Amino acid sequence: MPHLAIDGLNASYKNLKVLHDICLDVERSEVVSLIGPSGSGKSTLLRTLVGVNKPTSGKVTLAQRTLDYSSASSLKQARDSMAIVFQQYNLFQNMTVIGNVTIAPLKIKKWQRAEVEEHAHSLLQKVGLGHKLKAYPDELSGGQQQRVAIARALALKPQLLLLDEITSALDPELVGEVLDIIRGLARDGMTMLIVSHEMGFVREVSSRVVMMDQGRIVEIGTPQQIFDAPKETRTRDFTARVLSH
Amino acid sequence: MAYTFQFGQAFIHLPYLLGGALLSLEIAFIAFWGGTVLGLFGAYTLVYGSRLLRSIVQGYVTFFTNTPAVVQIFFLFYALPEAGIMLSSFTAVTLGLVLNSAAYLADIQRAGFLSVRQTELDAAETLGMSRLQMLRYVIVPHIARTIYPPLSSFFIWLVLGSSIGALYGVEELTGRALNIATSNLRTIEIFLVVGGIYIVMTLAASLSLGLVGRHVFRVRGGLLR
Ligand SMILES: Nc1ncnc2c1ncn2[C@@H]1O[C@H](COP(=O)(O)OP(=O)(O)O)[C@@H](O)[C@H]1O
Ligand SMILES: [Mg+2]
Repeated sequence: MPHLAIDGLNASYKNLKVLHDICLDVERSEVVSLIGPSGSGKSTLLRTLVGVNKPTSGKVTLAQRTLDYSSASSLKQARDSMAIVFQQYNLFQNMTVIGNVTIAPLKIKKWQRAEVEEHAHSLLQKVGLGHKLKAYPDELSGGQQQRVAIARALALKPQLLLLDEITSALDPELVGEVLDIIRGLARDGMTMLIVSHEMGFVREVSSRVVMMDQGRIVEIGTPQQIFDAPKETRTRDFTARVLSH
Repeated sequence: MAYTFQFGQAFIHLPYLLGGALLSLEIAFIAFWGGTVLGLFGAYTLVYGSRLLRSIVQGYVTFFTNTPAVVQIFFLFYALPEAGIMLSSFTAVTLGLVLNSAAYLADIQRAGFLSVRQTELDAAETLGMSRLQMLRYVIVPHIARTIYPPLSSFFIWLVLGSSIGALYGVEELTGRALNIATSNLRTIEIFLVVGGIYIVMTLAASLSLGLVGRHVFRVRGGLLR
């Protein structure tokens, strides 16, 4: 049984049907990237998995547990096992770096303070911000903020990490430091579903790449297949367009 | 003929004047908290209320921020008795300032509600926070921090604005100064001293508000940089 199994997932915004019958399996420790033109539903897929948007139908299983998106309390369970980092910086502005990373384990999970803080320290060390514990988000660069956001997501020990274009809002010189963190996580065996426009990075870090268009999965393959020998015209057009930039 | 200052004539009245200063602070304090609480309901309505309630509150805000406070209090003090409602001058002035402040403070607090960023709420939600936890850990601290500086300035404005009471015979600082000046005619000395007292009050208020802001809400600026 795959670590994450998405089976026939549909989602809409009001009357606009945005995801059509998405089926995707992700093995433990696998890194799968979603690519595709803007508006193809990549963000919606991630947001639906964490329940920010409600799926209209379909089944999602993570670590042998079927997720139930129907009620607030069952949603909480679903969120126990996954974490998401968004494109826009969204750290809590009124909390320090360490406050941002510890709030969920302390206040939501009610884990032991000593353990939580030790874990948070080691996570912040890992993202290279061990010296910024007491800083506030507005005192950090965009790259640093995204690294804190990654640490905050990891603080709940998720079984799956979702990353939605987390380098798109960054100045070019700050992209590298964030991608390095993701590379490290991939090496450590974190299961990840990544949306990214950094094609070089996608190619290097992904075990498989999923091409999406108009709310559907068009093609799934290894990076070599998708970038060097795509089967579908839409994939070929898209990769040709983004790689020529 | 050169004017000879006789500050002694002012200083012997210092205890009397300081008593007035205390009353000024009291008026400012009541107007501020009364206005803040009323304004909070107003702000909540302006952001989340139904269309009808919104336009009522908006009408209130427009009316009170576009007419002079003097006129509003004048109405409470002279027009209400015609309807059988007698207010003491202290009550009329304080109530007038509360109603007036509520309008300004509704606007300020509304900006606070609007400043909460959806991205932070999304993050809170996906971390698993409940509505109540979001309110407590994300929304309220954010609003408090955003509106703290304009709230502080407004309080200081009210300390000075309470002098409007003198027009209606309230014996706050300015009222008492007028009382002394009309009896001993040392108007210049009296008002220099009174000016000094106002400066001390507003400086003390901005310093302490600034310290609280800096340490509790991480607000920079003001007198403390
Ligand atoms: N909040 C929303 N309300 C309505 N429609 C939306 C919303 N967010 C996205 N959409 C629509 O859903 C489709 C997929 O968008 P999205 O998932 O953001 O695509 P991507 O992340 O691949 O660029 C688009 O047609 C977009 O216009
Ligand atoms: Mg997107």
